[in-house]
Amino acid sequence: MSDAADPLVKSPANADGPRVIEAEVYPGAIATRLDHAINWFRESSIWYLLFATACCGIELMQTGGPRTDLDRFGAVFRASPRQSDLLLVAGTITYKMADRVRLLWAQMADPKYVVAMGSCANCGGLFQRSYSVVCGVDKIVPVDLYLPGCPPRPEALNEAILRLQEKMHGERWAAKMKGQA
Amino acid sequence: MTPAEIAARLRTRFGDGAVVAVQDALLDPTLELAPERLHEAARFLRDEDDLRFDFLRSLAGVDRKEALEVVYHLLSLPHRHGVTLRVRTPRDKPSVASVADVWPTAEWHERETFDLFGIDFAGHPDLRRLFLPDDWVGYPLRKDYAPPAEYHGIVTTREGSLPVTRAQVAGRPQVQVAMHGAKAEELPGYMRVNMGPHHPATHGVINFLLETDGEIIRKASPDVGYLHRGIEKLAESNLYIGTMPYTDRVDYLGAIFANHSWALAVEKLLGLAVPPRGEYCRAIASELNRIASHLIATGALAMDVGAFTPFTHWIREREKINDIMERICGARLTYNYLRFGGVARDIKPDVVDTIRLWLDHFEPILREFNRLISDNEIFVRRLADVAPISAADAVGFGLVGPNLRASGVHWDLRRDAPYSIYPELEFDVIVGKGFRGVVGDCYDRYWCRVLEMVESMKILRQACDKLPEGEFWAKPKVVKPAANEFYAAVESARGELGAYVIADGTDKPYRAKFRTGSYTGLSIIQHLSPGLMLADLVALIGSLDVVAPEVDR
Ligand code: SF4
Repeated sequence: MSDAADPLVKSPANADGPRVIEAEVYPGAIATRLDHAINWFRESSIWYLLFATACCGIELMQTGGPRTDLDRFGAVFRASPRQSDLLLVAGTITYKMADRVRLLWAQMADPKYVVAMGSCANCGGLFQRSYSVVCGVDKIVPVDLYLPGCPPRPEALNEAILRLQEKMHGERWAAKMKGQA
Repeated sequence: MTPAEIAARLRTRFGDGAVVAVQDALLDPTLELAPERLHEAARFLRDEDDLRFDFLRSLAGVDRKEALEVVYHLLSLPHRHGVTLRVRTPRDKPSVASVADVWPTAEWHERETFDLFGIDFAGHPDLRRLFLPDDWVGYPLRKDYAPPAEYHGIVTTREGSLPVTRAQVAGRPQVQVAMHGAKAEELPGYMRVNMGPHHPATHGVINFLLETDGEIIRKASPDVGYLHRGIEKLAESNLYIGTMPYTDRVDYLGAIFANHSWALAVEKLLGLAVPPRGEYCRAIASELNRIASHLIATGALAMDVGAFTPFTHWIREREKINDIMERICGARLTYNYLRFGGVARDIKPDVVDTIRLWLDHFEPILREFNRLISDNEIFVRRLADVAPISAADAVGFGLVGPNLRASGVHWDLRRDAPYSIYPELEFDVIVGKGFRGVVGDCYDRYWCRVLEMVESMKILRQACDKLPEGEFWAKPKVVKPAANEFYAAVESARGELGAYVIADGTDKPYRAKFRTGSYTGLSIIQHLSPGLMLADLVALIGSLDVVAPEVDR
């Protein structure tokens, strides 16, 4: 999401566009666009639902652990969908589970995002020919980001969170709300 | 006792017709019983003093096209002998007597066989589907099964379906998820709670249907199958070696063990020997994996009862094991390391040095961990005397591994049914002694695992020292075993992990079945739960070290 031409925010180091709001002319004061402020808050506190259905869930745990430490990016796990912004689908989804996934997604408050972690969540992976496995969680809930791998390494999941932050940074909430008003 | 002698005993007792045939050309000599005699024979085999088959290792359905079969693998813990039974039943109206009253563990095995093969078990207390949803049509492990094109509006093929959009999902009707199974009876005055399938304390997607009276549980019945991925069916359409990566996913916390049992079974069918270095590589990888798995088991148990810090310590240590495993086999979690006749890659001398270094580092850490949590007063009180399992129950419900040993039963396949190079190594088998409470309580199960890590460290040191030079893989030219069948088991971190393989002379297995530790571990919960506090149920699940894929496969 390039935002380099935005007059309100300086971006000297960041060719891709500013990721944080920078202090403008007056010390102690910040001038920015409302969108940027909202996005900044949101992307810096991604609370993800600990939805570990299978093997990928172990790597998800390792990612939350001391080495990769997702907390650095404000991403912490929650056990309840009501408190989560991100449904991180880590693992295989079976037909028996499918309705529950949709229910979990429905329980999350907007704005919400979905990351499909691992081949199983992307397309069924190893199990796509199985009689009981859904060929990708995107058949049940809309997916924002696909993360390949079986299982993806913690570094990859970390990267996915950063990419998701980028995506969140490009949202235009204020414009949307104006349109609705 | 040999199968022929057992057959003779059965024939004297129940008449010549009781044993239809003794199939001793098989690698597992098998007695084919007359179906109408099965139940009496089972009781007889369990109760006679010189037979005492008290342990049902596995119960598998087989579709022989013209008829269906049920195969029982029995074991006698007092006498250390085994036997395999088989009964046939017609395909159009398959029915076999239930043995759930003889071996309680059969209750779940029979439900599974009903679910996947449609075999009716006469006299079963609660025969309904185990893995698949109640409204599922057909029996998937039958050879003529055709999966549906659509289930609840989801197209079942990858090609035929498109991702949904937000609007589409929002437009679908509100999801109705049944709280309890169709047959659940109303219990006035009790509250019903679904614990799961998405719950952090259930260790994966498992649902517990609770009937509670305040904090006291009247009944907790596990509802499984949320991770039933049909590995056994997929194995039938893959080459033998192609199933190896799937076995990783049978137990992702201990992938080596499922690799190992699969390799053992197929090697036996092929008559293949493994070079000594290959065996040592297997043992080193296995024991590293055992420690890694016990780290999660003990850490997650501590987390379940409210202590988060130990878990992060163990995750940190696990990363170090993952690094070593990555250097051994190239993967952090799903190792796919074993091959028929050896292992995929050698363990290089520098990796051996790293393992030694890590062991030196880990020993004091384990002591620190014990100071941190194992002797912690609150932790001990949460686990000691909670949900003890008697030795008889443990055997009857087919518990294996640390869960069985914690109840005071000496049974470790590494020592008692030796495979690989374990007879050459020295280690102790840890059994529960009532370390803090009564024998077989949650603390015993926890503490057995901690002590097993110490034993695994001993094994690792010996294996690193003794690692012989030479080949690590005697690669077979073709993997096409002649028609035969074999049940091979290894001692995994969660106990006996067995692979029952039927070969039909082609390059794909005719039937593959995995017998896992978590499966039987979970089946005892319903029996233990009445009267437990809700919070103790969490400790119980954690102490049994249940992982969902092992249950559901
Ligand atoms: S993508 Fe691979 S590692 Fe992840 S859940 Fe599926 S099989 Fe397991």
